[in-house]
Amino acid sequence: MVRAEGARRSTRPARRRLRAPRPEEPDEQGTTDRLGSRSVELAKFYQGKIETVPKVPVRSLADFSVWYTPGIAAVSRAIGSEPELSFELTGRWNTIAIVTDGSRVLGLGDIGPEAALPVMEGKALLFKYLGGVDAIPVPIRADSPEAIISTVERIAPAFGGINLEDIASPKCFEVLEELTRRLPIPVWHDDQLGTAAATVAGLLNALKLTDRDIRHVRTALLGAGAANLVTARLLIALGHDPRRLSLVDQRGILDPEREDLDVLRFSNRWKYDLALKTRGGGRRGDAAEAVREADVLLAASTPDPNTVKPSWIRSMAPGPIVFALANPVPEIWPSVAREAGAAIVATGRGDFPNQVNNSLVFPAVFRGVLDARARRIPDEIVLVAARELAEYAAQHGLSPEHIIPTMEEHEVFPRVAAAVATRSVELGIARRKRSFEEFLELASARMGRTRAQASALYRAGFTLPMPDEPTPKERT
Amino acid sequence: MKSRTPLREPRVDKPNDPEPEVRLRPATEKDIPALVGLLLRLKRLNEEFDPLLKVRPDAEERAREVLKAELRNAKSLLLVAEGVRQEAGKVVGVVRATVRERPFYTPESEGVIQDIYLLPLYRRHGVGEYLLTETVRRLKELGANLVTAEFPTQNEIAGHFYAKRGFRPITALHARPL
Repeated sequence: MVRAEGARRSTRPARRRLRAPRPEEPDEQGTTDRLGSRSVELAKFYQGKIETVPKVPVRSLADFSVWYTPGIAAVSRAIGSEPELSFELTGRWNTIAIVTDGSRVLGLGDIGPEAALPVMEGKALLFKYLGGVDAIPVPIRADSPEAIISTVERIAPAFGGINLEDIASPKCFEVLEELTRRLPIPVWHDDQLGTAAATVAGLLNALKLTDRDIRHVRTALLGAGAANLVTARLLIALGHDPRRLSLVDQRGILDPEREDLDVLRFSNRWKYDLALKTRGGGRRGDAAEAVREADVLLAASTPDPNTVKPSWIRSMAPGPIVFALANPVPEIWPSVAREAGAAIVATGRGDFPNQVNNSLVFPAVFRGVLDARARRIPDEIVLVAARELAEYAAQHGLSPEHIIPTMEEHEVFPRVAAAVATRSVELGIARRKRSFEEFLELASARMGRTRAQASALYRAGFTLPMPDEPTPKERT
Repeated sequence: MKSRTPLREPRVDKPNDPEPEVRLRPATEKDIPALVGLLLRLKRLNEEFDPLLKVRPDAEERAREVLKAELRNAKSLLLVAEGVRQEAGKVVGVVRATVRERPFYTPESEGVIQDIYLLPLYRRHGVGEYLLTETVRRLKELGANLVTAEFPTQNEIAGHFYAKRGFRPITALHARPL
């Protein structure tokens, strides 16, 4: 843990020290350091963030003859003759694996499966607390996409879903695609789908607020990693003209005649396909060229506030929409973007308005697909989650500072879950068919139960209070 | 439910303008600069497959000479794929092939496809198929009664392309540096 902390600190950019912070810029370095040492301290104290707890009464040891052998053999026989019954007769329906190879953990890079474990535990805590989902961290030692795929395939019988986490791009695309094809349970990769769904949710409302039609806007996507490649795919699915969409990576606009495209066809065919589909959005050149006269800039690239230049924003169409989603530091500070003319600004951070946050998405999506016992998560499901998030925000007062729900608006979670579950039924991929209202009730009950349970465990002293004064309130 | 969350069906991407098409014709001296560019793109891709396919610094110059010589060689086939309609005249692909004798085997005359390259935008849509069919037809005219294709072993896309069209590996080229 101490070593991991050292590694984390060494990756912090020092450049922010070079000039005085703007008034709205939080003292990010100081906060990160403080939170880091607090995390280590608490990790030592709690030694893990989740544990398994019995959910059946044990009145005496005699009860084990039904919970375990000999009685349990009848349950096994039933499942043996009909494996689908594992969703009814065991906890499989609510249990997912959080699988990582540790190849791209947070901003720390390839730090290995052991070092990924604390992060996966944190994710499991979010899954449980926000979605009522029992998530088991499963960091694995795997040196190839095929090794990840076959490992997950082998452990899948124990799970109702798989959450892939912190796997490097483009390996993550192959793994997600292949597992979605092979497994009869939903597979999700947050860095692709979660971030893209939250981005699309915010963007739908930003378009609405600025009176734009997705079919006519021009968009520049800065950064061609997992999130933006999927965002591009989803935007096209929503009717965005691919020829008005420019994807930009370190080498500039991804256009079909770029020299490195032949190599990309082998090394990253997702990027290759989008280059052909978008044809660079009719542009060739650098990021500034991609942004010129664009309505929308979606940056998911380098955590450096000087990545996006104010001059780029001034060159955009009037009233532009700017999402600067790099963490922990956005590609441009919101105040700078607004000064340069941005009508709506979103970031990945909770201390600015409009946090595009995948924690709004994954607990609800899994709640939904688990409640419907869905077989997979096609893009239609991702889009439904995005739409529901957008609608919720719209119903609770749309403004340039509120285009996406905040984490505090937690009634949004069961709604997104129910929308996802209902759509699974419509798409014919649900094992369990209920109405929207029934799914909403199921999700609310499941999520409410978890919160009540957590606070009961705390009150009863099973969850220990933190060893000293509580930390200042920070986002999850 | 449908009315609650109106969602447009994700559409298959159908561009408004027609799919790119190409036509194949014999190369002339004037095509050489463009063909050199395309050939080098292909060779730089091959570089990715094996260090023994590293492109040499004077490759561009040598490519120009080789292509010029091939234009004059009756046994060589140098074809240009160019765009049609609004892209008429744009050089978008190249085919290099040659006919050689097989002194010990039958069939005796082998048409060797040495290089096929198409700019990414013009791939698929049956264009590769057209290039191959047309090349084979011309190789036959030059007397070939067997067609072979050379490409880096690691290029699985090429391997798949030819396998789908009835090609199978008959000899292997193994290498080690000295």
